[in-house]
Amino acid sequence: MDLILFLITAVIAITGAVAMLVSRNAVHSALFLLLNFAAISVMYLLLSAPFLFAIQLTVYAGAIMVLFLFVVMLLGAEKVEDAPDRIAWQQPLALLLGLALLVVSVVVGLGGATTPPPAGEALAQFSDPRSLGALLFTDYLLPFEVTGFILLIAVVGVVVLNQRGRKI
Amino acid sequence: MELLIWLIPLLPFIGFLLNVFVIRREREAGLVASGLVAAAFVVTLIAVAMLAGMPPEERRIVSTAWEWINTGSFRVPFAIMFDPLTAVMALLITGVGALIHVYSIGYMHGDPRVVRYFAYLNLFVTMMLFLVMANNLLLLFLGWEGVGLCSFLLIGFWFERKSASAAAVKAFVVNRIGDAAFILAMLAVFAYFGTLNFYGDGEGGQLGFLERVSDIAGLRIGPDWQPIFVSTAISFLLLIGATGKSAQFPLFVWLPDAMAGPTPVSALIHAATMVTGGVYLMARAEPLFVASFTTQGWVAWIGALTALLAGTAAMAQWDIKRVLAYSTVSQLGFMVAACGMGAYVAAIFHLLTHGIFKALLFLAAGSVIHGTHDTQDMRRMGGLKDAMPITFRTYVIGALALAGIVPFAGFWSKDEILAHAISHGQTPIFVILFLTSLLTAFYMGRQVALVFFGTQRDPSYHPHESPQVMTVPLVVLAVGATIGGAINLPVLHWLTDWLEPVLHEKAGEFNLWLALIATAGAVGMGYLGWWVYTTNAAKIKIGGKDPAYRYSGDIWEGMEEAWYFDRLYQRTVVAGFERLADFLARVFDPQGVDGLVMGVGRFFGGLANGVRALQTGYVRTYALVFTVGVLIVLGVMLWFAR
Amino acid sequence: MVPTSYYVLLSAILFTIGVLGVLLRRNAIVVFMSVELMLNAANLALVAFARERLAVEAQVLVFFVITVAAAEVAVGLALLVSIFRTKRTADVDEVSTLKG
Repeated sequence: MDLILFLITAVIAITGAVAMLVSRNAVHSALFLLLNFAAISVMYLLLSAPFLFAIQLTVYAGAIMVLFLFVVMLLGAEKVEDAPDRIAWQQPLALLLGLALLVVSVVVGLGGATTPPPAGEALAQFSDPRSLGALLFTDYLLPFEVTGFILLIAVVGVVVLNQRGRKI
Repeated sequence: MELLIWLIPLLPFIGFLLNVFVIRREREAGLVASGLVAAAFVVTLIAVAMLAGMPPEERRIVSTAWEWINTGSFRVPFAIMFDPLTAVMALLITGVGALIHVYSIGYMHGDPRVVRYFAYLNLFVTMMLFLVMANNLLLLFLGWEGVGLCSFLLIGFWFERKSASAAAVKAFVVNRIGDAAFILAMLAVFAYFGTLNFYGDGEGGQLGFLERVSDIAGLRIGPDWQPIFVSTAISFLLLIGATGKSAQFPLFVWLPDAMAGPTPVSALIHAATMVTGGVYLMARAEPLFVASFTTQGWVAWIGALTALLAGTAAMAQWDIKRVLAYSTVSQLGFMVAACGMGAYVAAIFHLLTHGIFKALLFLAAGSVIHGTHDTQDMRRMGGLKDAMPITFRTYVIGALALAGIVPFAGFWSKDEILAHAISHGQTPIFVILFLTSLLTAFYMGRQVALVFFGTQRDPSYHPHESPQVMTVPLVVLAVGATIGGAINLPVLHWLTDWLEPVLHEKAGEFNLWLALIATAGAVGMGYLGWWVYTTNAAKIKIGGKDPAYRYSGDIWEGMEEAWYFDRLYQRTVVAGFERLADFLARVFDPQGVDGLVMGVGRFFGGLANGVRALQTGYVRTYALVFTVGVLIVLGVMLWFAR
Repeated sequence: MVPTSYYVLLSAILFTIGVLGVLLRRNAIVVFMSVELMLNAANLALVAFARERLAVEAQVLVFFVITVAAAEVAVGLALLVSIFRTKRTADVDEVSTLKG
């Protein structure tokens, strides 16, 4: 059952990713990426990480993708690749490298001895968002605060970068 | 007493510092400079008196100021000493030096750089005193180089004249050849004795190398087929050093050109003191020289040869100062020859008397030059005896002393050298020196006749006597040149006794026959010189040939050119170096050095040009390369994780 | 239960697609999206490993990655907008003046 669900989701994720890569229109790309993100969020559920599922949906599929779509439409940059590629010689090379990378990372990823996934009580406790929350506000309080600070800086940076009438 | 002997070199040094940093006015400069040197003379007198109060064997004071160099086994103290030999040298330097300082006040009056002149002069006296007072070879070398530097600065004092600066450079460069040998000698002394000190400090401790010459007796170095004694090697290197500083054959060529400097400088540095440094060095290192029979032969022959060469050259000069310059070289040859024959006392005696009467002659010549508005060519002089009575009389006294006529100072010292030569069987040397002494008398008679007798051949100037500040030193020196021989009269031999603790020499026999013949010869040749040039005075034209040229022809020309040594060096050494420099400048530098440097630059430039293509500016290309890097890293990790 | 290796395999495929997107596409926004895809692939692998080891800390790490990615996207897009304003294009090949 799990495996079937996983396979379906995986196919959707890969399809979304490949479609994003090949579609000429940036808006289409963004929408395919959205599909991919959604599939990944399902993956998180399958991996017993419900909290991350929620986060993935809200932050990535919600906020970030909206931002992407917004920028694409604001700039009118749906199609910028009409001109011929000036470094077209790179394309076969890139495909070759991609293939090599895939092989290498598969070898790396599968190289380690895999223990069978745990189950039962331990997994249930692991998937409980409460333990994650407790960790966030105890052991990882400082990184958590720093993340907030980073977000603040990002906000300020964005405002400064796009201020009109003042050269930076 | 130790403090007292430090005062001797320090007083002129204070004068130097004052003249460099404080004094700006000509008058003060002259007074301070002369005053401090005179004070040094007085201090030296006191020190000599105290030295005389000691028992003869203990007459050496060594004083160490501080450890100058201390690196491992190489230790050189900044130590000076005062012994009978140093004492007479210091007396000559400060005494004659003070008179020349006073004389300079008058001679240099009105020159725009008088303060600098006196600063140099004081520095020179300081360095010369360090040279004679040093208790080790390195400090002696400091003084040696210091006087060389001052000589350079003072020869080129009127550096606006091309000839003066060229002469200064020539003196410096020629001296350098001797200095190189000196340094080698120093290294050799250190290698074989482990110290550069002349003498121990008298309070136990290590003995100086001059007290331990027997250490290297019989020691040989060099290849098996031609070994040489170590003592020969060291003393021969010292001899080369001395030939540079004392203007001996074959390095004598710088001294005549050095006359481009102010005349008091010629008197002080290039007649009385600095050029005698080589003779002093040989006398100081007497144990080393005596230990080497071979070197002594070289010393004697170099001295005799120089004496004859320079004596003949002096006969044919027209420049009043060049006559005296060649005469100085010739007399230095006498001293060196005396050293070579082992007559060190005679050499020092001649050094002292020569210091006095040659300083007198130079100062008097300066007075003539001053009174004739910078005329140096004797063909333009003549008949000056009425216009300059004091200069004339003192000059004649100096000339008589130099010619070796009883009872003037030069006679006694020269006679001692000749007597030693004949009594020690050095007949060839004796013949050469005797001949030279006759030539000396001849050219002094010639010079006196040309300058002071007859009529003035160039009427374009009005000669006048010099001011008192110049004539008083002349008179003082003239008195010295008259009675100076008294310090080592044959019967009394005070100087021999005084130097006995250092040079261990007994007074020689007085040779009455030799004295009579030498005096007769000197009088005869002097008169001949005077007679030839007074009777033929009418034939001397400005820019013309010498009357004697008619009889001797090209030989005279050779003498006038000092036997073409300058031209020889010009054509061989100088031309060779010019070729080499030319090659380096035109071929080696642009093609070799520049080629190398530019080649390195071009190589990296080309390399950078090639690498530049890698930086395309396309982010995607960078990402591609980046991916390759990632792949390599992952691959390596995989490889090692197997 | 799906084995962890399946997730890792999926993660590798997605990551490679992301790399290809960066290397092949010229539209700066798509390039950017590809970067996000790579981040997600990494996250996926991380979560998969977390489950295998039952390490909640890994999930915390993923949480941080997502947060920082949000900040990064905001700043990156702002930069893109600035570049677009001066260059009038979103083609990354046009931004290639800095070269040897």
